[in-house]
Amino acid sequence: MPSSSSEQAYVPLRQRAEWADVRPVPQDEGPHPVVPIAYTEEFRDVMDYFRAVYVARELSPRALRLTTEALLRNPGNYTIWHFRRLVIDALDSDLVEETLFVDNLAKANSKNYQIWHHKRWLAEKLGPEAANDDHDFTRFILCHDAKNYHAWSHRQWVLQKLGGWDKELDFCHQLLEEDIFNNSAWNQRFFVITRSPLLGGLSAMWDSEVDYTIKAILQNPNNESPWRYLQGLYKGNPDSLITDERIPQLLLNILKENSYCVFAWNFLLDVLCKGLRPNNEIIEAVKGFTELDDAGSSDEDLPTRICSALERMDPIRVNYWAWRKSNLTL
Amino acid sequence: MEGPEPSEFAKERHAAFAEMMLHELPRDYASQEINRVTLAYFAVSSLSLLRSLHRVDKDQIATWVLSFQAKPKETHDVDDGKFFGFCGSRSCQFSEGPGQSVSNLASTYSALAILKVIGYDFQNFDSSIILESMRSLQMPDGSFMPIDSGAETDLRFVYCAAAISSILNDWSGMDREKAKDYIIKCQSYDGGFGLIPGSESHGGATYCAVAALFLMGFIQNDCNSSLSLPTSTIDIPSLVEWCIQRQGADGGFQGRANKDSDTCYAFWVGSVLKMLGLYHLVNKSALRTFLFTCQSPYGGFTKFPYEVLPDLYHSYYGFAALSLLEEKELGNLSVELGLAALN
Repeated sequence: MPSSSSEQAYVPLRQRAEWADVRPVPQDEGPHPVVPIAYTEEFRDVMDYFRAVYVARELSPRALRLTTEALLRNPGNYTIWHFRRLVIDALDSDLVEETLFVDNLAKANSKNYQIWHHKRWLAEKLGPEAANDDHDFTRFILCHDAKNYHAWSHRQWVLQKLGGWDKELDFCHQLLEEDIFNNSAWNQRFFVITRSPLLGGLSAMWDSEVDYTIKAILQNPNNESPWRYLQGLYKGNPDSLITDERIPQLLLNILKENSYCVFAWNFLLDVLCKGLRPNNEIIEAVKGFTELDDAGSSDEDLPTRICSALERMDPIRVNYWAWRKSNLTL
Repeated sequence: MEGPEPSEFAKERHAAFAEMMLHELPRDYASQEINRVTLAYFAVSSLSLLRSLHRVDKDQIATWVLSFQAKPKETHDVDDGKFFGFCGSRSCQFSEGPGQSVSNLASTYSALAILKVIGYDFQNFDSSIILESMRSLQMPDGSFMPIDSGAETDLRFVYCAAAISSILNDWSGMDREKAKDYIIKCQSYDGGFGLIPGSESHGGATYCAVAALFLMGFIQNDCNSSLSLPTSTIDIPSLVEWCIQRQGADGGFQGRANKDSDTCYAFWVGSVLKMLGLYHLVNKSALRTFLFTCQSPYGGFTKFPYEVLPDLYHSYYGFAALSLLEEKELGNLSVELGLAALN
């Protein structure tokens, strides 16, 4: 099977005996084409022959090989993929071999929607027995690109459709150990704890997840991901956000060591706005920090003081904190 | 070659770049040839934003775009669930044989956007077949497929459907309530939107969500009063904070938390804030500084700072982002439709 032109000289299809009976169909640009592309001769040749088999609806082994050549050069073309699927069905081709083909293509083009869709089509045909192999593949892609959006979407789809949930939380943990800043892994964690049929849902997982997240925050407080995750955990349970003692404890721990931690001040602002009754330690921490401010009187309420402090600490978002401050009385 | 990046918008160079792309795309764009009509939209809308549309023959462009419209071969084809919009490239158009041309929602949006930008008169344009057949692409959960022969469904195509309906000023092609239900399910725990329910919050997906809601009439412009919006729509305070948090210390916008700033998100995320009436919360000077580090000496914009070679996608969204910043050399933007407003 001829591979890409960089490995051996490309033989135009017109010169191959196998294709002597086929008349290629050139692309009809029409008059005054806009954004015409300077195709290589190879590209043009393969597409001209693809058009011929497509129009003739030739569902044969050589048509399958032709779509391989076409897809190596034009993996984004969904018409070629669709036609290939028709051929595979007509010939009852080996789906495991097909998986190898598309996986190799995916490795080289990991951000191509059509390739991942083809993988999905195959996975559906192969069924739950193939789930683990599929997870192994996306794990491989994520090892090289831990935030690949397509790989994550595909993985989520396979989990929901074909299963394989049992090791997923561990996988998230492993990725977070490698990079605690990986927001995709945090998102996947949320996906697993809320949707895995093996774990009992958010209410069952909530308590241990709060502890897990707090640990991650303490490890690196200047990381947006676990702060958002923590907020997310309390979304279904807003009352506990203002009664859970772990929250003020966490905030005080951080602000003692890290008085300029914007995420901590932001979180404190939010829980105060949601009704947290601050204990004396919190009040002292806020007043102690904002006493250095010469703007505003000392009996301004805590949220206002925090907004003013954030305007200084987080200058990129100075307009946002000023706006939050102006909305506090609403 | 320049020394340090100029802090001036190099309008002439950008217009030359866009015009050059319009006349021919280099061979490395072959991998995107399926989306040629969308590439044309980037080039044409760029020229419009650059107030340089006089450089092109609008009639020729209109004729070219209209030649991509798919027409049914038999009267029952629409009932069979086939979509008849615009094809994205010649490689999906087949006049011979039993196979139909494959049109798709994204290229239909792009085609209509081009026509709108060049001032095409839609009065005599028969949109009925597009809208009627578009209904077949909407799934029971409210999402849309891009083509009728099976593909991924996600927020991008919900947006395309809404934009198509808006441009054609006819909502008979989609069920807006169902689309809204799907969009709501895509909001993540952190306030942003993912492309499908459960996916990570992403700048492009968030744009698609909010712009679609805006076009369909479910969101209003003044966020100061809409903080008390009923929760049956979306969590706006979290959304606002998510968007604002995307602006990095380098002044640029990232597409997801803890990722690098990239030119195009200045448009995707900036537009969301604009539609909510909160663009004034952006740190404009920092953003402008960032964008100029992505201005290519060859004209156009790059994805990341200090790269040299521009690409058409990042160039277009660079121009769009600077239009949001009211760069004086640029025309106005219709934010929710993602195209140059008629100047």
